[in-house]
Amino acid sequence: MFYAGAMIIAHLDLDAFFAAVEELERPELRSVPLVVGGDPSGRGVVATANYHARQFGIHSAMSCAEARRRCPHVVFVRPSKNRYSDYSRAVWEAVEGVVAEVQKTGIDEGYLNLTDQAATFREARSLAEVVQATVRAKTSLSCSLGIATCKVVAKIASDRKKPGGVTVVRPGRERAFLAPLDIRKLPGVGPRSEERLHRAGIETIGALASLSDDELGSVLSGKVGTGLRDRARGIDPRALELPGEAVSISHEETFPRDVTDRAVLHTEIHTMAERVAERLHRRGKATRTVTTKVRYGDFSIRSRSRTLSAHTDDAGVIGSVGCELLDRALKDRPGALRLVGVGVSNMAAERQLSLVPVEAEAIADSANG
Amino acid sequence: MSVDAPPSTLSFTAPRETVATVLQAVGRAVSSRSSVQILGGILLRTDNGSVEAAATDMELSLRATIDAKIAGEGAVVVPGRVLLDIVRVLPPGEVTFAQLSGESMMSITCGSASYRVHTYDATDFPELPTAADGETHSLPPAPFFDTLATVGKAASRDESRPVLTGILIRLAGNRLVMAATDSYRLSVKESPIELPPGLELDAVVPARALNEVARLGAGAGDSSLELAVQQNQIIFGYSGMWLSARRIDGQFPNYEQLKPDSFEAEMRASRDELGEVVRRVAVLAQRNTALRLGLSEGQLSLRSQTQDVGEAEETMPVSFTGEPIEIGFNPAFFLEGLESVDSDEVVLRLINPLRPGLISDGSDDFWYLIMPIRLAS
Repeated sequence: MFYAGAMIIAHLDLDAFFAAVEELERPELRSVPLVVGGDPSGRGVVATANYHARQFGIHSAMSCAEARRRCPHVVFVRPSKNRYSDYSRAVWEAVEGVVAEVQKTGIDEGYLNLTDQAATFREARSLAEVVQATVRAKTSLSCSLGIATCKVVAKIASDRKKPGGVTVVRPGRERAFLAPLDIRKLPGVGPRSEERLHRAGIETIGALASLSDDELGSVLSGKVGTGLRDRARGIDPRALELPGEAVSISHEETFPRDVTDRAVLHTEIHTMAERVAERLHRRGKATRTVTTKVRYGDFSIRSRSRTLSAHTDDAGVIGSVGCELLDRALKDRPGALRLVGVGVSNMAAERQLSLVPVEAEAIADSANG
Repeated sequence: MSVDAPPSTLSFTAPRETVATVLQAVGRAVSSRSSVQILGGILLRTDNGSVEAAATDMELSLRATIDAKIAGEGAVVVPGRVLLDIVRVLPPGEVTFAQLSGESMMSITCGSASYRVHTYDATDFPELPTAADGETHSLPPAPFFDTLATVGKAASRDESRPVLTGILIRLAGNRLVMAATDSYRLSVKESPIELPPGLELDAVVPARALNEVARLGAGAGDSSLELAVQQNQIIFGYSGMWLSARRIDGQFPNYEQLKPDSFEAEMRASRDELGEVVRRVAVLAQRNTALRLGLSEGQLSLRSQTQDVGEAEETMPVSFTGEPIEIGFNPAFFLEGLESVDSDEVVLRLINPLRPGLISDGSDDFWYLIMPIRLAS
């Protein structure tokens, strides 16, 4: 093999993620141009367009009004963030079942370190296809992957054959792969540096890559400039940032028979909150974010989270916030539950205390809610 | 202000310096992120022989007049960013603004430079709160601005609890009280002030708007600060600028109740010297880790430690009474408390590592309550 010891990094990007989730929840949307985003009669913008809509030139960040002008029969759907988080979690669970080292960078994208699991780039492609198949089997969602020796090239490559594609950039081919692309495609080039580069006549990543130190210095200053030029040359030493020790603690309970009685559910949540708090105490930690998860009779999952203004390790607080979140979930979608769970995240050993105790805040808020 | 269709088109001329000064001041209220396009604009309109410039982001508004030669009456809204960019680079000399009739455009000419920019319809611009004649009261500006500068930083930026993003202002009985808290620290200052008869106030005003008021105060000093109190708005007038701020609904925390009745320990130190030491040690209190204060007779030792980065330690002589104690604080909150103290000596009173500490100048007119960080070990 060439380049012994080269890293093999994949970037995974879900295809038209929000739109795809909406299509799964409402199959009748599959065959129409669909935009998930803000209010088309107001000043909303497109968050995601499905591939039908993209054929009309509709893309993310375009105003919804413009999207409607380009395609008058486009269907607009408001984003349902909680649902996307649930699907996203399911996707990453599926990915982590295949690849050991995963760094999530957004709700619909992340990096996978394939170095230890694939000896060659050919094997890496096969592994990427396994990831795609697993994600599709577990969630019915489609994703695209880019594979390269570093993050920046992998990320650009994942956008190359959408939807459902795998693009491999072999070692040594990075610079040639990037060279013809628009400078805007290079992560780290924001509107301001783009403007400066354009003013200097630099339109492609290749043009940036071939600048001498002096030429570069007159366009972009200091570390920003050399960092971007390195990336343009396909050099990106960033490793994956992996989560340290457990970042969350949770408990869940599947009932022998589906439960609708709110009092039973609340008692269950308080009991689980006590166990969660015990584990927090054991580790000397406190938490700021409480999450309640519910699974309905039809196996669909919803979760609700709330971040408190200060850390707590109090079972009563975790329990009452957990109940409030359960009530919110059941208000949004009533039904009998086969499972409830309570989790905490956003943990710290040292914690800023509050003048107004978080206990009082939690109780006041659940009374208002 | 909803403006009736102007009978003619706006046209005026003024020196570049005048225009730039007023527009840059007013432009601070231009909304940068609003989804409502017109809030990104600056309203220009003739009003009683002068030109008024105004901008608002719906939370605060700024208005001022431009001393100009008027050739045509009217009103128009010009996109703020582009207008400010233009006036910043215009050459010295007279600038002429002229609305082009029949077009939604305005021309701006200065020397040999000329621009044509798209405008918005002034009738779409929101009506801005204005103070009626006789509604304003005159205050001595110094106590107001000094008090504001002392407490302002303690207000919260977390929008989830709106009342804490405001500063409580109380005026009564020739006393001015301002209080601000983000629930981790609370800053309260009381100052004597000569109040006009009949003026009383108890309002929570967005800290962001009051920061703009403070900027007005930083400029050339007027002899009085004008204040008008309305049901939902407070209007300030200073140095030719009018600023209106929305009052925040909701109950501000009862700050007297949060102040502990008694303390167990007291440290006195030179404010500047302590500030220097804190700044040096805080370098290694990264990622929300605590600044650790260890107090014993005659000595304060400060420590910080960030995992995988390093640690710092420094001791200084102080006067201390009480049992030895170790307590952790957010270094930024602690420093802001020290910096708010307006005397050479700072007093820190403590109860225990889990109860609030109180920073003051020793008097009761200013106090800064700061909650500790509970330490891991």
